[in-house]
Amino acid sequence: MAQWVRREDERLLTGKGRYVADIDVPGCLDAAFVRSEVAHGLLQAVDCTAARDVPGVVGAWSAADLPDLPRVPYTLLAGLSTEDAVAGREWPALVKDRVRYPGEALAVVLGEDRYRAEDGAAEVTSTIDPLPAVVTPSAALDDCVRLFDGLSNIALRGESGEPIDPSVWQDAAAVVEARYRQQLLMPSPMECRTILAVPEGDRLTVWSGHQMPHRLRRELAALLGWPTDRIRVVVPDTGGAFGSKSAAFPEFVVVAHLAVKLGRPVRWIEDRLESMLVATRGRGQDQTVRLAADAEGRLLAYELTIDADIGAYPHLGAGLPMQTAWMATGAYTTPRVHATLRSVLTNTMVTYPYRGAGRPEAAIAIERTMDLLARRLGLDPIELRRRNFIPLDAFPYETPTGRRYDSGNYAAALDLALETLGYEKWRAEQARRREDPDALPLGIGVSCYVERSGGEPGGLHEFGSLEVHEDGTVTARCGAAPSGQGHETVFPALVAKALGIPEAQVRLVEGDTDEQPEGLGSFASRSAQVAGAMLQHAATLLIDEARTRAAELWDLPVDEVQWADGTVHAAHDGSAATSLGDLVKTTGPLRVEDRYAAGMAFPFGAHAAVTEVDPDLGTVNVLRLVAVDDCGVVLNPTMVHGQAFGSAVQGIGQALYEGMTFHDDGVPHLASGFLDYLLPTFTEIPPIDIRDTRTPSPTTPLGAKGAGESGCIGTPAAIVNAVADALRIADPDLLQMPLTPDSVWRAARASRHQEGVR
Amino acid sequence: MKPASFDYVAPRTVAEAVEALGDTRRKAQVLAGGQSLILEMHLQRIRPQLVVDINRIPELDRMSIEGDELRVGALIRHAAFEPADAVPGPLGTLLSRAVVNIAHPPIRSRGTMAGSFAWAHPASEWCAIGVALDATVEVNGPDGARAIPAGDYFLGPYNTARRPQELITAVRLPLLGENSGVGFIEHRRTHFCFAQVAVAAALTMNDGVISGARIGLVNSADRPVRARAAERSLLGTELGTLPKVLRLPDDHPFARAGRVAAQDDAAPVAEPYADAEYKRQAIAVLVGRTLREAASDQRARMAAREEGHR
Repeated sequence: MAQWVRREDERLLTGKGRYVADIDVPGCLDAAFVRSEVAHGLLQAVDCTAARDVPGVVGAWSAADLPDLPRVPYTLLAGLSTEDAVAGREWPALVKDRVRYPGEALAVVLGEDRYRAEDGAAEVTSTIDPLPAVVTPSAALDDCVRLFDGLSNIALRGESGEPIDPSVWQDAAAVVEARYRQQLLMPSPMECRTILAVPEGDRLTVWSGHQMPHRLRRELAALLGWPTDRIRVVVPDTGGAFGSKSAAFPEFVVVAHLAVKLGRPVRWIEDRLESMLVATRGRGQDQTVRLAADAEGRLLAYELTIDADIGAYPHLGAGLPMQTAWMATGAYTTPRVHATLRSVLTNTMVTYPYRGAGRPEAAIAIERTMDLLARRLGLDPIELRRRNFIPLDAFPYETPTGRRYDSGNYAAALDLALETLGYEKWRAEQARRREDPDALPLGIGVSCYVERSGGEPGGLHEFGSLEVHEDGTVTARCGAAPSGQGHETVFPALVAKALGIPEAQVRLVEGDTDEQPEGLGSFASRSAQVAGAMLQHAATLLIDEARTRAAELWDLPVDEVQWADGTVHAAHDGSAATSLGDLVKTTGPLRVEDRYAAGMAFPFGAHAAVTEVDPDLGTVNVLRLVAVDDCGVVLNPTMVHGQAFGSAVQGIGQALYEGMTFHDDGVPHLASGFLDYLLPTFTEIPPIDIRDTRTPSPTTPLGAKGAGESGCIGTPAAIVNAVADALRIADPDLLQMPLTPDSVWRAARASRHQEGVR
Repeated sequence: MKPASFDYVAPRTVAEAVEALGDTRRKAQVLAGGQSLILEMHLQRIRPQLVVDINRIPELDRMSIEGDELRVGALIRHAAFEPADAVPGPLGTLLSRAVVNIAHPPIRSRGTMAGSFAWAHPASEWCAIGVALDATVEVNGPDGARAIPAGDYFLGPYNTARRPQELITAVRLPLLGENSGVGFIEHRRTHFCFAQVAVAAALTMNDGVISGARIGLVNSADRPVRARAAERSLLGTELGTLPKVLRLPDDHPFARAGRVAAQDDAAPVAEPYADAEYKRQAIAVLVGRTLREAASDQRARMAAREEGHR
């Protein structure tokens, strides 16, 4: 029996992992950044003179000292954003004249080690004339405080679906409305951001914990004005990303620029407090919703309006709310769905994909509203969902918001969730408690979600190759770049199975642009669905090539050469068999490579939570959580289970714990790190039952859909709905995430008052 | 850890430590468990020029019963109080119920009770117990040793009557009589973080009547609070059957005492996710619940004693 479930576990769990900070390059300089303590202001002066006199400091620069410093590359990835959104809103790598978010870098100091660099950074002085700061979309919308003179804070407007005729609302038997705040979250990977840039001859090798090494290579090449082949990006072991590590960040631009300018290795190892201040944020939407149904509870129309907080500069986050708009429909046959959005600049670090990336915001909005409507109609929320699910025979299903759902069986996922939970038993317990004035209120909440995995059109492909060695081993290469997902285990197993050879004979090489000339990376829950399909495709190419070579060798027609268990043999005579290794020895190097595109897939699931609420203190105790996720064909159940568990915990984080508050000047309360931004810890994790249904995707050859973001998407609304159910809260605006004790106590109290009035 | 540079000494006796601290040319900081100091130095919010490490002073590493008091030397770690019988009687129970709320096991194996008194964080469990029980803080400095009553010791957040050149050598806590019962309840958002509010209570009963009450409030003001008004409201109260339910009836003496503590004793300081109004609510609720726990503990002790007499 294998001691380790995953190939990478022994290395990672025994301290043998090799992260960027572990890479020892002689003569390497450490970068420390001098950061703005104000959220918004006009930069009058930066003086680095004193820093340069600190022993061990090699140099200190402000933007004025580096006139050639390139700006931060933006991205219009997957058509989410537009040139108009970014025009005139340049993100300088070091502040030139205006600070737009707290912690924005004013200067950089390079030292012989991080201590000396920080000692130098402490000597840099700056003068900033503060401006009023806006930290929410609602505060920034009216352009009273502009981040860019002469330009609106609204960087992008978008919509999906068609506007809904007012008569639909007027004629509907029931219409519910609500406002939801999707708070800003921090992705919080265990390892913060890292980059090490090493000039070697006319090339630059860049080590970085990164999700998209080829994109980083492309962006660095563009900003240095180099051809891409002069840059090698390597991703060593990486301690998590959750969407937050796919860009060329301001600090990366500075490090690469200085490494080339000085001809010396330079690294930046972000520490936790830096990360909390200036790493990308996720979510950040203010939403209003309207949902109409007829008297039988059949949905008629749904409207979602989004004001998205995209942070101080339009980057990938500017278009990210489009994902929410496209996914607004959810799991239902609502005939009319219209989503509109405004992407609004605020004085916060940029919003960026965070596990779920636009889809939790869509799922939470519709799923909270379904409960609201059920309450209005006097229907069981389960029954309301059943009446409106997209039925099995309707797939592929075109949603009014422009998605084509590939496959789904939403009722089956919900059935399994309820059965696993013991729904009727909990409803009976709830009824019992409602008769007992001393019992703590108990509530049950469900959330049925649909997500999109794989990426957007134009980003649904991956590159890779298989190479056979003389000893019969196979090296698989692909453009994905794991940050903990277990590719080293899953992909070799996949290739071995396709070729019919032992898993131990296959080795995976990823995350090195010199090894793999082109690639996209790991994001959007795409690795199994897209890169996995690519490797399976490569295996068929390899088999074809082996059969062709054997046919030539044996002077047979190709169709008389068969493949079985890693060997080629003649169909009529099994004895004429040659192993892969022998074939290479005889016929020379054997390598196949290709680009392969998969389709978009739509995983789904049903999450159910039971919560107990202490109305006097406002504490929420999650007694049970059931997560039923369907990611199509499962390649490795252990990995998928781990992904489901981890993302459910992050979903609990959004529902109950994670959030930041701001001082009046726009600076977040984060001075004490994770004491100021609470993640769920082991103690807060309830019993979680992970189950799955398996509805294959017809758009990918493996039938696998993305796994890994499910809990972030499905769990939060289940918990919030359970709390609303426990307290019988009719006004949804009272419950906004995170459901902190003070907010739940206030909601419970207000709800009692409202009932008293009635 | 990236502290500013500092000098370091590790004295072997209290006298040497006091001498090191007496060097007024350098801003000195005592290192015991380092629970808070190391973090503050890491963040460079504290930049001592001299760190006086007292971990090698054996005389500080002693806990003893002296008369009717427990004397806790400055090197006694939090973890020492985890077993309920580490300290005799109800005091041992109170300390063991409180200590599990302090950080987590690795930190409890390093941090010290005296260190908590030195740091004087408003959310410190030990400090609130200290003011509730009328603890005494022993300090030793250039002008000799002195004992400061806890009631005079805490002056504000991180601010105490200890002079910079003085070393806390021990904290003394009065033992609680066998007719006392204790309770400690903490409310916080996750296990990781500081208390939003916590309450320590000790009730002394005579013939079913409350003859003594001590209530300490954690994070309910800019310093630890003894809820004297709430205590007074309880004296002479005859306790009937204890309500079994979590939520006390509004007219129960413990619920009333909770409201008094929240309104008259506490002076809550607003924090993110806990403004003063919410803190007063939490104080009222927790005081009531902690008093019930203390009364229940007292009755259990009485019952156990009667069982022992049979």
